Amino acid sequence: MMLTRSFRHILLAIIVFIWVVPFVALVTTSLRSETASKTSGFWTAFTPTELGHRFGTHDKGGTEEFLVMTGNIFERLNQDKDSYQITGDIKSILFKGRVPDPENEGKTILEKRLVFAGEVMDVRGGDFVFQTNGDFTWTFPEATAPRPKNLDVFLDQDPIFGADAFIEVLFDNKNVPNALISSFIVTIPATIIPITIAAFAAYAFAWMSFPGRDWLFVIVVSLMVVPTQLAFLPVLQGFSGIASWATELNAWMTDCEDTGTCRVASKTFASLWVTHTAFGLPLAIYLLRNYIVGLPKELLESARIDGANHLQIFVKLIVPLSVPALASFSIFQFLWVWNDLIVALYIGPADAADLVFPIRLQKQLGTFKDQLHLLNASAVISMIVPVIVFLSMQRYFIRGLLAGSVKGG
Amino acid sequence: MAQVALKDVNKSFGKTHVIHDVDLEINKGEFVVFVGPSGCGKSTLLRLIAGLETLSSGEIVIADRPVMDLPPSKRGIAMVFQSYALYPHMTVFHNMAFSLDLQGFSKKEIRERVESAAKVLQMEHLLDRRPAALSGGQRQRVAIGRAIVRNPDVFLFDEPLSNLDAALRHETRVEIAKLHKQLDATTIYVTHDQVEAMTLADKIVVLKDGEVMQVGSPMELFNKPQNEFVAGFLGSPKMNFFEGALTGVSGGNAAFSGEGIVSKGVRLVSSEKDKGAAARLGIRPQHLAQDPKGTLAGKITLIERLGTETVVELLTDANTPFRFATPEMVDSELGDEMRFSFEASKAHLF
Repeated sequence: MMLTRSFRHILLAIIVFIWVVPFVALVTTSLRSETASKTSGFWTAFTPTELGHRFGTHDKGGTEEFLVMTGNIFERLNQDKDSYQITGDIKSILFKGRVPDPENEGKTILEKRLVFAGEVMDVRGGDFVFQTNGDFTWTFPEATAPRPKNLDVFLDQDPIFGADAFIEVLFDNKNVPNALISSFIVTIPATIIPITIAAFAAYAFAWMSFPGRDWLFVIVVSLMVVPTQLAFLPVLQGFSGIASWATELNAWMTDCEDTGTCRVASKTFASLWVTHTAFGLPLAIYLLRNYIVGLPKELLESARIDGANHLQIFVKLIVPLSVPALASFSIFQFLWVWNDLIVALYIGPADAADLVFPIRLQKQLGTFKDQLHLLNASAVISMIVPVIVFLSMQRYFIRGLLAGSVKGG
Repeated sequence: MAQVALKDVNKSFGKTHVIHDVDLEINKGEFVVFVGPSGCGKSTLLRLIAGLETLSSGEIVIADRPVMDLPPSKRGIAMVFQSYALYPHMTVFHNMAFSLDLQGFSKKEIRERVESAAKVLQMEHLLDRRPAALSGGQRQRVAIGRAIVRNPDVFLFDEPLSNLDAALRHETRVEIAKLHKQLDATTIYVTHDQVEAMTLADKIVVLKDGEVMQVGSPMELFNKPQNEFVAGFLGSPKMNFFEGALTGVSGGNAAFSGEGIVSKGVRLVSSEKDKGAAARLGIRPQHLAQDPKGTLAGKITLIERLGTETVVELLTDANTPFRFATPEMVDSELGDEMRFSFEASKAHLF
């Protein structure tokens, strides 16, 4: 018993881990700088990393003479940066310079060595000393105005995150905002329409008796096995047939021919609503019917005695009591439509401004190429919406909604 | 004048014939109890009156209106279900106001009627609660309140107490009896519990396999059962039956002999039987009296001491089990022989 229980826990932990890692990877990468996301994996972003940078001791030109110069390496490194500031501990500086050759007197050799914090280093005749926090002093025996010196510094970079990628994809151009709006235009009606129809149908299948009810239900449920992809051709033909018919009607009834605006598009948002509704209905009816048929019979009989007709029973009893089932199906349908690429690609509008999010993401694969941080930021934006929907719907998964209605219910 | 009249009522589910030619008249203000073992059709009969099932044939008249073609809500009935069937998402107030709301009463009138019903049931303080926050007894009261606000011609109760525990059941039973007196409403009450039937009813209808076995007041049924089924069904412990033969018939009475019993002047229920015919003698355990000279003898197989009553199970020589119940102490032991006599007027011949 103990063993199976801990085994279950381990299994659960593994599953959670497997599912969470890609999400963490996406979010982490989207929050990193472009260089960081290109040069190292997301898992290195949480610990200090050793990085090399080059900094100039001071700006070029017009320096007054001085004996001692003080400054900070991080200030120098960050002076042109708004975000992804370099912070951490300075490890060492690579010293490159000519020093007297101990073997051949009078000659010099090129020395390359790492100078650590606190050690004195000869830079342009002055003593250069730095601390791990980046402070440095540059001391000369007499007042001089040396040229700036570029030094290579190695440091342990503290973890650093920023929202630059999000700002870029959201505000640099209208692609992502447009895709968000289009996705909402498609998803919200494509969720509400089927669930409304399905709730009515489910009530009829569960509680109204009419001839052929069971056979009809079997047919509806068996439609679940028809995949959307299989029906693309007939569905498209249907829509283009309707569109050309509408175009003719338009030409006949209005004077659109003068302005050349007769054409009615066949691939529209409405086509997507109809398609998603049609292919979402069988599952919706099946799920809701099975829930509604489980509601206590006495409740409905009691309502009938109280004088409620079918519509009143549906509105006042069935809908409020089916909230958990309605909520869970609407989450299913929302996720499915929101993440749908192929139906939108074949049947949805093709204008750049009307593309839904998955198509936009697919297009970004081409435009952003290796700009992983931007791709990931877009992906995170598209993921956040379903997460919000899920979390806000979760409070409707109420246990014991029927408590108090019937004994044991 | 009958408030509810059933004429030749029949009901079949497919090929199963569950209600057979039921004829029944219920007077205004009467408390009628349908009682019978499970599966006897008592609930079906109630649902037929309520309109939740459709008749196969026959006629139902409520308050002088034939109601066969009317929906439940138009029949002037209100029903209390065994499972209460409260609307779980509505407060007690809205549960009770639901039917009035559907009938289009004004808000003011709804409030008045709900509040007066709540007052009758002493649950004014519960009106804002949801059913989930109520105890079993309170839920039952809400269900009754929901029936009261409709001000129906007939109240229908479908085993309303069977979900309550024993103490609450007794309490609610008393309350229902009081309520019936207070409202003076015609009531049809279905139960399988004979105690409820005996205590509540003005008139009991005993059903078996969809047929009415006997209709009458509780005492009438108890003292003069018309058949063996009614005799055996009412009364606790059950009536004892002994096999034997009629040795003489005169008028409504007969003489009986069998299992060592010889008795004269016993009420003959099966009046078609003649001298010499096989018959069964029924006598309630309470009506046996310990008598050393008695003709009925048995060996004790079990003694149940209930405090107020002692029930002794015995076996005759012919291995017929029977019971003896007495309020007095019994100081015999298992295996002892006891002898009994009884008054012929308390026995029945079937």
